[in-house]
Amino acid sequence: MKEHMNTSERLQQVFRKVFQKGDLLISPSTTAKDIRMWDSLTHLELIAAVEEEFGIKFSFSEVMQFNAVGDMLLAISRKSGEI
Amino acid sequence: MIFNSLIFLCFVVVTVIINHLLPQRFRSVFLLFCSLSFIGYYNLESLVAVLVFSLFTFYISRNVRGNRVLYVAGILLNAYAVIMFNYFFATREGFDFSYTAISFNINSFIIALGLSFYALQNIAYLTEVYFGRWQPEISYKNLLLYNSFFPKVASGPVMLPREFMPQIDRNAITQERLITGFNRFLLGLFKKMVIADRLAPAVHSVFDFGDANCGLTTLAGAYLFTIQLYFDFSGYTDMALGIAKMLGYDLKENFNLPLRASSVSEFWRRWHISLISWFTAYVYYPLVYRLRSYKKAAAVLGILATFLISGIWHGIGITFFLWAFCHIVYLIFELFTKRLRSGLSEKPSYLFYRLAGIFIVFNAVSFSNIFFRSGSLSSASLMIRNLFSGFLPASWLRDFVAPLAVGGHQVDEFNFYISIFMAAGFLLFEKTINRLANSEAFSFYYTTACVLLIFLLGIFSNGERFIYMQF
Repeated sequence: MKEHMNTSERLQQVFRKVFQKGDLLISPSTTAKDIRMWDSLTHLELIAAVEEEFGIKFSFSEVMQFNAVGDMLLAISRKSGEI
Repeated sequence: MIFNSLIFLCFVVVTVIINHLLPQRFRSVFLLFCSLSFIGYYNLESLVAVLVFSLFTFYISRNVRGNRVLYVAGILLNAYAVIMFNYFFATREGFDFSYTAISFNINSFIIALGLSFYALQNIAYLTEVYFGRWQPEISYKNLLLYNSFFPKVASGPVMLPREFMPQIDRNAITQERLITGFNRFLLGLFKKMVIADRLAPAVHSVFDFGDANCGLTTLAGAYLFTIQLYFDFSGYTDMALGIAKMLGYDLKENFNLPLRASSVSEFWRRWHISLISWFTAYVYYPLVYRLRSYKKAAAVLGILATFLISGIWHGIGITFFLWAFCHIVYLIFELFTKRLRSGLSEKPSYLFYRLAGIFIVFNAVSFSNIFFRSGSLSSASLMIRNLFSGFLPASWLRDFVAPLAVGGHQVDEFNFYISIFMAAGFLLFEKTINRLANSEAFSFYYTTACVLLIFLLGIFSNGERFIYMQF
């Protein structure tokens, strides 16, 4: 559980940095609709920042299937060998 | 067979009735026959091209999964189809939007008929099969119906295999669908005949006469063209969706109140949605994914590539390049001002920010549309010169009313005001009107109002063709 919290918190930091909004809060159900600046122009910038933070690489089809923060969290856990 | 011509109307009625009466298993063959007849009605060249390119795509797709060489060959073949046909189009006839010539200048759009939209769908199909996201079709008939289904072959919406293929051989004709399809068709006819075609003379007068109009008149002409293009193209889409629905198929929505967008990137999520999502899926994302470590520079390159290809897809020529260039500049500007704009949106009020955004976006899009509409660089530069020289008219009646209310008589002026009133009223109550058109319950008032308005105020005489049919 603690591990999961850490991943969420780190991810939140990445979101705050990319969208340059210090008070941004995310949850597994957050989608692009909830964050005004999250669109196709910034999606891959976000992905690149997540990859850099966690030292992982997402495949193209994974990137295309991220609909919510929860999908991203799952993929990060899977890639980091936590599941 | 233009969508708003009498012969097309007869064709649709007969097709819907026969399709409805036929047993389910014969319907797809019948619809394919109708679609090929629709293409062949214009000229056999297009029909032969559709059959040949589909056959190539069909055989390539059987072995394309994971085979990069074959995949690239398939893409090039279909890209060649787009370029070749657009090039023929550009050199043989030039782009002619002339109000009087347009209905007679059929040759030019025959050449391009369907092939631009048709090839995009072939490319989508090959890509999905290549990456293993879609099984290759075992039936040539189904592939042919997917890319040449007549309601969408001329101007979209662009459908992906997973959106269209499962609908083939699905028994989906019900009374509700016949009613909603018919209502949607009427809505499109209304948009085209009562709004778009009524605005056409004013737009034609400002764009094509080469007069030195004052700034305000030129601005009005550019605004009216954006509105005309919207009603023309979304009207076409409504008709396509309506016809498809009556035949048992659901096509993708192509517009979502685009003139209410408060940023250009939002505009592109609301305007010609099926085309832009094709470009996003097959050009923008694959490119930016590969370059993502370059962060913002990757997005800039993605925007450049997407709009340059989109510009070429619309037509080869400097005016389409400049149209694309405008949108590249707008989107890159938005990319780098995201944070600033996000901060601005919270003060002084969100409503004010939205309204200001809508006004700015409408102006930016209308400006880019000057290039889209002008047949040549010289007429586009005349428009821009006019726009920035002497803004207010010296004589209101002579320099503003007369060029817009073509004809110059009082009745023409009155007629022009009716057109403006209809367009403004529609844009203001668009959501409610769309809801009425899509409602499943048969609305006697809605249908009667549409039919009455079309007969009372619609333009019948010149058979203005759809602007987007040429792409």
